[in-house]
Amino acid sequence: MSKRRLKFSKLNMAKFISHLDLMRCFQRAIMRSGLPVEYSQGFNPHQRMTFALPLPVGVTGEGEFADISFEDGKVTDEEIKERLNKNLPPDIQVLSVGDLIFKAADIVCAEYTMKLYSDKKIDTEKIKEFFGKDEVIVMKRNKKKVEKPINIMEYIRAWEVIDETERTLTLRLVLDAGGERNLKPEIVAAKICEGDENMCADDADICRTKIFCRSGDVLELFR
Amino acid sequence: MYKKKFEACLKRVQKPARYIGNEFNSIHKEMTSDMMSFAFCFPDVYEVGMSHLGIKILYHMMNEWEDTVCERVFAPWDDMEQEMKKEGIPLLSLESYTPVREFDMVGFTLQYEMSYSNIVNMLKLAGIPLRTRERKIGDPFVCCGGPCAYHAEPLSDLVDFFILGEGEDIMREIMQAYKEWRGSGRTREEYLETIAKIEGIYVPSFYDVEYNDDNTIKSFEPNRDCAPKKVKKRIILNFDDTYIPEKLIVPFMEVVHDRIMLELFRGCIRGCRFCQAGYIYRPVRERSVKRLVGAARNAIDATGYEEMTLSSLSTSDYTCLFELIDELLKITVDKRINLSLPSLRVDNFSMELMEKVQKVKKSGLTFAPEAGTQRLRDVINKNVREEELIRTTSIAFEGGYNRVKLYFMMGLPTETDDDVLGIGDLADKVIDAFYQVPPEKRKGRSVTVTVSTSLFVPKPFTPFQWEPQNRISELERKASMLSKSITNRKIIYNWHSSQVSFLEAVFAKGDRRLGEVLISAVEFGCKFDGWTDFFDYEKWMKAFEINGIDPEFYAYRRIGYDEILPWDYADIGVNKSFFIAEHKRAYEEKTTPSCREKCAGCGAAQFGGGVCFE
Ligand code: SF4
Repeated sequence: MSKRRLKFSKLNMAKFISHLDLMRCFQRAIMRSGLPVEYSQGFNPHQRMTFALPLPVGVTGEGEFADISFEDGKVTDEEIKERLNKNLPPDIQVLSVGDLIFKAADIVCAEYTMKLYSDKKIDTEKIKEFFGKDEVIVMKRNKKKVEKPINIMEYIRAWEVIDETERTLTLRLVLDAGGERNLKPEIVAAKICEGDENMCADDADICRTKIFCRSGDVLELFR
Repeated sequence: MYKKKFEACLKRVQKPARYIGNEFNSIHKEMTSDMMSFAFCFPDVYEVGMSHLGIKILYHMMNEWEDTVCERVFAPWDDMEQEMKKEGIPLLSLESYTPVREFDMVGFTLQYEMSYSNIVNMLKLAGIPLRTRERKIGDPFVCCGGPCAYHAEPLSDLVDFFILGEGEDIMREIMQAYKEWRGSGRTREEYLETIAKIEGIYVPSFYDVEYNDDNTIKSFEPNRDCAPKKVKKRIILNFDDTYIPEKLIVPFMEVVHDRIMLELFRGCIRGCRFCQAGYIYRPVRERSVKRLVGAARNAIDATGYEEMTLSSLSTSDYTCLFELIDELLKITVDKRINLSLPSLRVDNFSMELMEKVQKVKKSGLTFAPEAGTQRLRDVINKNVREEELIRTTSIAFEGGYNRVKLYFMMGLPTETDDDVLGIGDLADKVIDAFYQVPPEKRKGRSVTVTVSTSLFVPKPFTPFQWEPQNRISELERKASMLSKSITNRKIIYNWHSSQVSFLEAVFAKGDRRLGEVLISAVEFGCKFDGWTDFFDYEKWMKAFEINGIDPEFYAYRRIGYDEILPWDYADIGVNKSFFIAEHKRAYEEKTTPSCREKCAGCGAAQFGGGVCFE
């Protein structure tokens, strides 16, 4: 058995596909492609498949990761990519296939682009001020499903404005992500738009562009 | 142009995947101005609509034509409807987010009467004028097809034309006529006059209806030459030649029937007297094993589905069922695909077949004796004998099953309290059969029998079309009597809401005066009537009241043989005289053999094919 790591994109309307549906989509694409995947043993055999860091519904991804087990030595990475892409819907495509370098458990943060829209001239200064704040509190459910206040500013690792027009502003953000500390980008968008009647957080285009993990003392691009 | 706002709405609703399209095998054609566009509308949510075979057939078939683009439209769930209204977004197609009102043709499929309110609601959301007389050049033509299209008079004021029968051929003729009409400067009426001459097309505005003082129909006559007195349904005789969609759309989200459905044949040889499907699809036409296996193989390769089901009215009546299953298992077992067999008849269910299916999947056992006593089963021509049911369940228990579901109808013609109590007796006998099986062969120590009853709905184009429905109070009395009589705790008894069945009877047998009731009901907020969370009986009653219409007239009246029926314009190929004869035989408690045992001369042989000539 050989486990391969697939880097894939999830773009456009595919951002509304839930994690469970995405898994089924991959399973069926594999069935169609006829690729020799490994099945689990047991009463109800299924394909072995794990995703590194599920995307929130409504957010697109330019570099997502799925680990899938194939039968040993039967297909090349290039073949996997080619055959899967023929059998995946256009908004979900495999970008590359390779070895598993890092562990998903070591993921610590992710980079996003966020395009905000306003009905009138956008108030850039106010948005910049937002990132200067020490404390912005939101209620967040922890793993035990209990609501707790958190200061989201502690989860924002970096930000910058990368594009600006009359009515739009595009930001690059690096936010904590992974099993231990995680901040969803929609929450940041909601807080930025809060109280501005010309802006609506649901209009924001959010895309996850990179995922980072800890490797010793340094951050590495997840791969 | 609505896409950005539409996307924002999707962030605020449940199950946004209902609205995104772009599934694998969905078709995205560029809609150029020289093409014709057809919006295929299903009056229910995505996951229900996408489970339906008919939409798949026509969608793929029409998109194979170079001059036509066909896109899908489903009813938005209430949360999405509210969001769209807030943003001023009209009803859009799934593929290109094009407003439905911009299509040339808007076609609804009518699967059940309780979806009529959704049709009205969808027309409203689309911004299409509701009544045909209000539509102008530039508005789409609204048409309907599907099993209810033979008796959808309640929709007559809202629908420009109906398509009776199998749409596969007729669609091309309609679109061809549209191509010639478009840009010719002729009126909408002139287009309808052209297509009224096509066999199978019913244009309701070309017929005038007059009523007697007692509200029955006095006359129902065409008001111009192009409209035939009777509209004959279209069928495709050589079923092997019909289009089988193989590159089926594979939804992202789970839909109700999330699997490949293989249609073995159309129609049913049985002739159960309550069952409309058993008559409107006559004569039975089968596909060959070779054609089916080829289609199955292609569909598996093209979809990656993990399950396939054989779908027909009474699957076990397929003449080469064993051969077919053997061939299919050769494909499915290796690929780990589940093969499931629904609607097995009691009388030819056998151990061998069961074991074959078990190889891949063991699902629960379901039987529909429909009535509790042999007498009443003879009345409805459900040729299931008690001995057979007991024999079959015994075999099943020996094979390791210990759960059985039994379905019945209540309020059938001639039903007495003894017949109702017979339901409980039959369930008891099934339990006894379990304990007759030697313990070492049984699985589990105990058995459960679930009994479900629903209210009989008399349907057009059945021998019971003249019958009154039981009143709701009467049904409730019978259900509680039965419930009290069931003492065995191994029997679980469920019965279903009868208010919905009452409205179903009203709209199944209703006439065009009900159109305004539908419009009022939707104004009051009626929609998704098939869903218990939406169904609102009070609103419906209010809609009848303000339009001065008594719904009981349609459901509770015994109709005379000489009366003009609101669906008499449709000729399904089965003669009225046959229905009358069958109705009389029902009262004589005489059964009628299946088409394969002995032809009963129903009239469907006029089509010149199918089972009548086997
Ligand atoms: S004509 Fe005879 S064989 Fe043909 S459908 Fe009618 S009853 Fe069946």
